[in-house]
Amino acid sequence: MAEQYKSLHPAKYYRDHLKHDIRPDGRELSDFRPVVINVGSIKTADGSSIVKIGNTTVVCGIKAEISRPKADAATKGFLVPNVELSPVCSSKFKPGPPSDQAQVLTQIIADIVGNSQCINLEELCIFPDKIAWCLYADLICIDYDGSLIDACALALISCLKVVSLPEVSYDPSLDKQQVNLEKRTPINVNSVFVSTTFAIFDDKLILADPTVEEENLCTGTLTIVTCNDELCYVHKPGGSPLVDEQMSDCIEKCMNRSNSIKKLIKTAILENI
Amino acid sequence: MPVDHKRINGPEESVPYELFARLSGLTSEKAFEQLYKAGKRSDGREFEEHRKIFLKNGAVSQAKGSAYIEMGQTKVIVSVFDPREIPNRSDYSLKGELYCEFKFAPFSCAKRRLHQQDNEEKQYSCIMKKALESAVCLHELPNFQVDIYALVMHNDGSALSAAITAAGVALVEAGVPMYDIITSVTVGIQQGVKLVDPDSLEEQMCQVQFLSEKYQDNNHGLLIISKLHTQEQLCQFYQNGYVSLEVLKSGLEVLSKTCEVIVPLVQKCLIKHITNGIKS
Amino acid sequence: MSLCDAEKTFILHGVAENFRSDGRDREGYRPIEIETDIVQHAFGSARLRLANTDILVAVKIEVDTPLPERPFEGKIEFFVDCSANATPDFEGRGGETLAIELSNILASAYKSPKTFNLKKLCILKGKKCWKLYVDILILECGGNLFDAVSLAVKAALFNTKVPLIKSVNIDGDNVELDVSDNVFDCERLDVTNAPVMVTVCKIGDNCVVDPNLAEEQCSVGSIVVAISQEYFSTVTSIGIGSLHAQTLCSSLELGQKVGIRLNEALMDTLSHITSDQDFGFLK
Repeated sequence: MAEQYKSLHPAKYYRDHLKHDIRPDGRELSDFRPVVINVGSIKTADGSSIVKIGNTTVVCGIKAEISRPKADAATKGFLVPNVELSPVCSSKFKPGPPSDQAQVLTQIIADIVGNSQCINLEELCIFPDKIAWCLYADLICIDYDGSLIDACALALISCLKVVSLPEVSYDPSLDKQQVNLEKRTPINVNSVFVSTTFAIFDDKLILADPTVEEENLCTGTLTIVTCNDELCYVHKPGGSPLVDEQMSDCIEKCMNRSNSIKKLIKTAILENI
Repeated sequence: MPVDHKRINGPEESVPYELFARLSGLTSEKAFEQLYKAGKRSDGREFEEHRKIFLKNGAVSQAKGSAYIEMGQTKVIVSVFDPREIPNRSDYSLKGELYCEFKFAPFSCAKRRLHQQDNEEKQYSCIMKKALESAVCLHELPNFQVDIYALVMHNDGSALSAAITAAGVALVEAGVPMYDIITSVTVGIQQGVKLVDPDSLEEQMCQVQFLSEKYQDNNHGLLIISKLHTQEQLCQFYQNGYVSLEVLKSGLEVLSKTCEVIVPLVQKCLIKHITNGIKS
Repeated sequence: MSLCDAEKTFILHGVAENFRSDGRDREGYRPIEIETDIVQHAFGSARLRLANTDILVAVKIEVDTPLPERPFEGKIEFFVDCSANATPDFEGRGGETLAIELSNILASAYKSPKTFNLKKLCILKGKKCWKLYVDILILECGGNLFDAVSLAVKAALFNTKVPLIKSVNIDGDNVELDVSDNVFDCERLDVTNAPVMVTVCKIGDNCVVDPNLAEEQCSVGSIVVAISQEYFSTVTSIGIGSLHAQTLCSSLELGQKVGIRLNEALMDTLSHITSDQDFGFLK
């Protein structure tokens, strides 16, 4: 019976649950779904991670290639993040060029990386104006069940943490480079960003870590990214307005969560080694 | 190359760092010599032994049916979605259609793949479609199209076979009517040696012709078949390289036998799916 | 084309009696006409008619850089264009899947170094090589496209003249090629091992080659084999339908037998074509 009720009146179904301060999947309003992080399982990449937040699953793989720095930034390497909403993850996405949503998501992730300064691009330069590392970070969503920004950000940062690059020696006089595959060093990750998404239901209730159903029914979403106990990025694409109190409440929750997530990343990496 | 405005682009040109490494890696010929002498493969398997398979259905919560398969390091995920009306078609067709897309993740291979489907991926999509078309009761889905997407997260050889076997399980979970259980196996051939379920190094080894005098046998190549279990029908067959008739025939036998080994695994996975369904 | 059951039975019985509706036996081909060197601007070309199937192939050559992982090899690329005139099915984007399938099978059949040696196309290791663009235009579709296309491609490659390079000047990273001025100074490609494809179609309990459109409708499964000398360079099943392993083996045997014969006939014909013959669209 509940099945039919849900598909006929989804909003009402949710309202009935939320009246009793509980969500249909058994969580309380401010509960987060369990997070699973796995790193280094894809050996063809120079660093990889798989992140699950509830059902939402994102795979991130970083492949390093050698290229020439841009003329206007001769001492900088590259970090190229791209999010792909592959047709595997949901019936909403069809094959072909990236959808608008994928493009927006890619830009958000790129902005987060830029704002947080987690990677010093100058460290990716091997020899100014001649050669530099280019890290292609591809994030592929394989199961889309809401809070995708959180999963992507988490996948990217835990992947960056495990990336290791081979040693390169460059001889400027001969313009020749030599790569030593045996000697690999990890890259420096200066800061860890953690993203948290909230959904605003019926203009007043705030649901933490929404599923895709909740995202579809809600009247607005809010994503807060913190980095080193500071705000790094806030994304509120229209929708219901929030009062200051609610906002600061969300920020506080986000700060609390960021600590536990950081611990989780650490243990995931330790387990891998 | 035209600029892709819908993604973030890196520098205009970048090359894999492996190109500048000291040539320490084994050539295919040396690797084959080692393998031949040892009588075993680098991971300790016999020549005609399949890798261990991990197969799980229901990996993607949003899909109607899905499966995740792991064969050694090879990791593939397949999703199947609800049948929908065949898009962009005005006339009514009595038979249903399958749409298959096979894709390697950019980081899944030794060399970085691009986001757009390349020719190899298109060919694999074609082969996959061909294999599954013979297994699905298309006449029960008139004017409908079933979308099947396969994503390879890590390619360590035999990715296409993995995708086809997994797609069979995903189709069952999606409730698409089918004639039979479908399984698929790859075998690599070099110098008359048949390597069942080759990993990526072995695949590479089977694609080249050895130049040194020792090796007079010209046979090399890859064979992929998909088999419908109860009917003993081969619903898809693909070979490339350079193979003589005898070797082809004996390869076929090996493949058929190996398919039989995989069937119980698929059956077990399906039974588990059904018993879980009854319990909940 | 759609056939009624009676027509299908007629074809089926004919095949069983080894006497097909157009008088051929099971291993027989329809007449093939072939003509080479008909596109003036191409480096090599061929036109082939097999019954109503009409194929035009032109080869273009350009200088390219070898792939970094294969510094000693040139490149070859196949492109198939299914003209909308060929059959009503090709209207709009209908021919696209078939075109992709055809070019993929060709690429796969020419992949092994034993069938077509790309090393011959290398000019300077890691720097310069020839790239062959093989453009295949399907003018009319009368069944058995795979066989016709492969024969036409082989004929066009046989006809291809690669320009001779007089000298190579290397100055640092710059490489300059000096191509011979005389247009008649050229090299032929070695196509002795280039594969020919044979479509083997199972009709009833027997296998036939070179099916016409009506016979293709009666088929329960078919495979395409690419034969290079007596070896198989590619085998793939096409269309819907499945085969028993036993049937597959006998189809392979038949394909091999016919493929060798077809190749001999083609090479023989090609060697008889002299440059001073009349040419034009199949005069």
